[in-house]
Amino acid sequence: MVSRFDQQKTKHQLFHVSLSLATILICMTYMQYRRNWAHLGSFWDSLVVPIVFLGELLKVVLARFYGRVEDGVLTVKQRQKKAAYFTPRELLGGFTLQFLCTLLYAFICIILGAPVLGNYEQTFVLALLMTLLTVSPTVFLLGGGGALQVCFCEKPDFVTKCEDTALNLFKYNALGGILGAWAGSVVAPLDWGRDWQAYPIPNVIGALLGSALGNIYACTHVLYATARVYMTKKRT
Amino acid sequence: MEQHKSRLVYTIGMLTLFLCGAILFLIGFFPASYSFAEDQSTVPDDQPTTLHGVKLTPPPPAYDSFILFLIDALREDFPDATSMPVAYSRACEKLTLHVDIPTVTMPRLKSITTGTLSNFIDIVLNVGHSEQLQDSLLHRLNQRNKVATFAGDHTWLRLFPSKFTRHAENQDSFYVNDFYEGDRNVTKTMESELEQSDWSLLILHYLGLDHIGHVEGNASPRVPLKLKEMDEAVQKILDHKNFPNYFLMMTGDHGMADGGGHGGNTPAETLVPLYLYSNNCSKATSGTKRYNQIDLAPTLSVLMSVEIPTLSIGCLIPEMLQSLSLEHQLYAYFYNAHHLLNKARVKFGHDRVHRSDYYTWYQNATLLHKKLLDTSKDSGGGGASHVYQVQAKLNYMRVAREISGLLSESLVKFDYGFITLGLALTTAASLHIVISVLYLDLTEQLQLDSLKAGQLLVSVVAAVLLNVSSHALDIILTSSLLQSILLIVPIAIAVYLSIDVAQALLRIALPPLYTRRLKISIPLPIPLLACFVIRTLTLGSSSFIEFEYKTWYYLGNTLILLTAFRTLRRRITKTNVELDGRHLYTIASTCLWQMRKVFVMLMLLTLMRYIHRLQAIRSTIMIFSLLLLWARLHRHSQLPQSVASGAALCMVYCFRGLNGQVHFFDVPPYIAAKLMVPTLVVFWCCLALVLVLGYRAALPQTQSFGDLPPKSVLLQLLQTNLTSSLLLVALLQKVQNILLLPMLLVALQQTYKLCDVFGTSARKFSVRLVHVYKIIMTIFLARMFFFFQGNSNSLSTIDLTPGYIGQTSYNPVIVGLFVTLNTFSAEIHAFLYLVVHTLRSDLRSVGIMQLQPPYSIAADSLIAPLYAALIMLPAAFYLCLMVGFRYHLFIYSVFSPKVLYDCYTVLVFYLVFLVTSLYFKLFKHDA
Repeated sequence: MVSRFDQQKTKHQLFHVSLSLATILICMTYMQYRRNWAHLGSFWDSLVVPIVFLGELLKVVLARFYGRVEDGVLTVKQRQKKAAYFTPRELLGGFTLQFLCTLLYAFICIILGAPVLGNYEQTFVLALLMTLLTVSPTVFLLGGGGALQVCFCEKPDFVTKCEDTALNLFKYNALGGILGAWAGSVVAPLDWGRDWQAYPIPNVIGALLGSALGNIYACTHVLYATARVYMTKKRT
Repeated sequence: MEQHKSRLVYTIGMLTLFLCGAILFLIGFFPASYSFAEDQSTVPDDQPTTLHGVKLTPPPPAYDSFILFLIDALREDFPDATSMPVAYSRACEKLTLHVDIPTVTMPRLKSITTGTLSNFIDIVLNVGHSEQLQDSLLHRLNQRNKVATFAGDHTWLRLFPSKFTRHAENQDSFYVNDFYEGDRNVTKTMESELEQSDWSLLILHYLGLDHIGHVEGNASPRVPLKLKEMDEAVQKILDHKNFPNYFLMMTGDHGMADGGGHGGNTPAETLVPLYLYSNNCSKATSGTKRYNQIDLAPTLSVLMSVEIPTLSIGCLIPEMLQSLSLEHQLYAYFYNAHHLLNKARVKFGHDRVHRSDYYTWYQNATLLHKKLLDTSKDSGGGGASHVYQVQAKLNYMRVAREISGLLSESLVKFDYGFITLGLALTTAASLHIVISVLYLDLTEQLQLDSLKAGQLLVSVVAAVLLNVSSHALDIILTSSLLQSILLIVPIAIAVYLSIDVAQALLRIALPPLYTRRLKISIPLPIPLLACFVIRTLTLGSSSFIEFEYKTWYYLGNTLILLTAFRTLRRRITKTNVELDGRHLYTIASTCLWQMRKVFVMLMLLTLMRYIHRLQAIRSTIMIFSLLLLWARLHRHSQLPQSVASGAALCMVYCFRGLNGQVHFFDVPPYIAAKLMVPTLVVFWCCLALVLVLGYRAALPQTQSFGDLPPKSVLLQLLQTNLTSSLLLVALLQKVQNILLLPMLLVALQQTYKLCDVFGTSARKFSVRLVHVYKIIMTIFLARMFFFFQGNSNSLSTIDLTPGYIGQTSYNPVIVGLFVTLNTFSAEIHAFLYLVVHTLRSDLRSVGIMQLQPPYSIAADSLIAPLYAALIMLPAAFYLCLMVGFRYHLFIYSVFSPKVLYDCYTVLVFYLVFLVTSLYFKLFKHDA
């Protein structure tokens, strides 16, 4: 499988990665604009969650856009899956899955040291952000059942090529986000006395930066693959 | 080809070497006395009698009688208008003293009497060391044939065995359950001393407050009562008719941390009040001025008109000199500045002193002083002389403060010879064991475990050469020839081990010498490795050391969570692929339900952090946790043994009930006090019964256990040890902390189960992977529970109360044993449980049948060395860091207590390990 710049897949990947990076850049700009970061933990006051939500939605739209050329060559299963996308059952399933994931992330936060009694709003926002960075894109793309199958199956057969490309990139995003949020806690015990050391600001920022790093890593991969193809072609 | 020979002896050897290295390192890092380094005789110690040719006469003593009223652990906010009304309202001056670390009694007394900073290691010598001081305020008083009398803490007499004319000391100052008896005796002595008037210094040292703090904490209701008692004692002195011209100082030797202990460097521990009382006092400045505790010695010396002790590096406290005439004040400032300047000359050399700022200040001051003396001789003085006076005084004070600061900074002396030797030994030993564990199957190839005669010879020769040359170059200083010769042994071992390690590393790094690359024999999963590396690296930051518990909670929970989720995902995926994608919801929920215990355990681990807040319901918690503990112990023991352990646990509850810490029948106090001892006797009998019942198995001719295979004899004995040590610790632990014991067992069991499942769900099963997971999880859980218990890296959180349970006097061995057992209970029991678990378990329960060689044999071939390596490696790394940080601002307050904790942890592990391997040696051979 060769990859070139003018190939649909490479274009999709590059657009996807730039979309993610743009989302995070917008978040950073917004944070810079607000100056005081204390609001990052509040649900109603902070725009980070909506911005990330929109970004993930746009990525799914992008995947659909590139996926339309494959419409003619779908298998039966893929076609069934596609038809069932907007049914109430799928919508409900997807919503439930995301809700459960948010709860799970909140549980993990508390296990890893978030205050047990109090700071629920902050924990909820952090959990929501983590869900948006990790689970939501897959759910938006494939629906609840599909997302579960992708998670617990080596290679489900209902995933189209284009969706597969997007899923691969989502993986980097999610891993980066989780590791970033986890590593963000490193500043918590330090005695610098800065107000941005308060929970959950370092974790939120860590999640954003981590997913940015994940995307940059993915981007270099894509570019490297393309460059290799380009070099070999030139040589021959 | 897997080898499974026992590595216990090797591991013990490496641990011993590590401990020897650590001791050498500590000797080098904390030299036992500062005075070795400088030659004190060169500091002139007479009172100066001339100033630029003008004759001076030292003033007479300012007061007839001095009383030092020392209340142990009196922290700054204790005395106030309500708690000590008389002492508070009648004080002439209320000052604050800053105390240096370590905040324990003996070093503090040294500071008060000699005026020098104390060494950090004094904290260890605080208990059971009898060093006599060479020079102090009391020595100087003695030389002048003045009478000093004393009542109170025994420590004073160990420091000054012959300097007091009369003394009435408490016999056992370390017996912390004595709140009143000792203090009453002190007050009695005080009353009789007040009737006599031959003494010029009376020292009263009250211990009750400190003991209350240790046992009941700083918020105990007994603290105000105790302060009231102290207040009355002060009033007795103030109202006494015998003394027209007295000077009374009320102060504390160190403060009290919020938990009630001391030894750390929080403001609560390092700030103590100093209240001054005298007859002719002018009610002066309000507002608290802060001085250092070392300033007391020189100030008292000039007030008593004796020589300032040679070691003193303190300044004078102006508020204490106010009763002196101006001329005498000026003389006092001159004397102290002169003394400090002489010390600076000895320390830094003449040239450096003459070029410094403070020397010009000193010159200015002396010139002004001389001018003043001249004018006062000629005429009565005047406006100009007052200006001179103030200027001279200010200059003297400036000089003293400057030199005092410089001298206290430069007191630190490291013995680099010992430090290097200690580091070499610890690092080589831990690298050796790490390499030998990592390349477990290749030790023959790497030639790690055989003793090579040639290499030994080479290293002995090298050691002799090194020793001689470093003695010649004055890198190593020893006090006797025997010590110097003995030093050859550690040097030789260090060289030998280093050669071994270097050879092994070369062989590993240069594979071309061999046909193929050497493969690590132990799987190293990345998450475990990452967590371990992060934990080791955080040792480099002082805030991470202060809040080390956060690191452990975070990393430990992360590891368990990660393992749980990976297991869950593997299980679901496996079933899902088998069922071809149908019923995914059902599969997921079933698997989740199967893992429920792990998640419940995680939640409980989270709750354990708040265990110290559960004071209110501690009776319930205690009953619950004792029942839980009994249920845990019951699982693996026969009926008679369980009955005995149940009875022992009942006795624990009765004991706490009689103490009034939990709900119990209403017993009148005098009956409760009488019942206490029988309760404990019954407890010990039950414990002995448990031991005897367990050890029956070891007897060769018993019928009931005769059919057991030999391996279970070993298991049975170790199990009994674990049970009895748990029972004992249940008696020692604080009431709410007893819950941690069964929780530790539950958590370990669940984690091991998780590790088993994780290992078997992997595509390629490896027993060693499971072992590595279990060992690292054990270390993490043990540390987490260590901190749940309320421990920290500060010495002030060591709980001394358990050492005195059932004791009527101070017995250092028993107190040390009990306190250690209580403080390190999590680590000791986690290791014992790991060994027992490994011996007991077989993987048939999780569906693995063909294990050749058997699973349990790993206990001594893999688990012991790996566990030891993982304990030693961070400790060795930390010792290296200490050398790098030796001039760090927090070296004595944060890093040094931690190094003591680390070395002590290794020691505790070493002892536990020694006992365990003894059992292996005795009972394994017939397996």
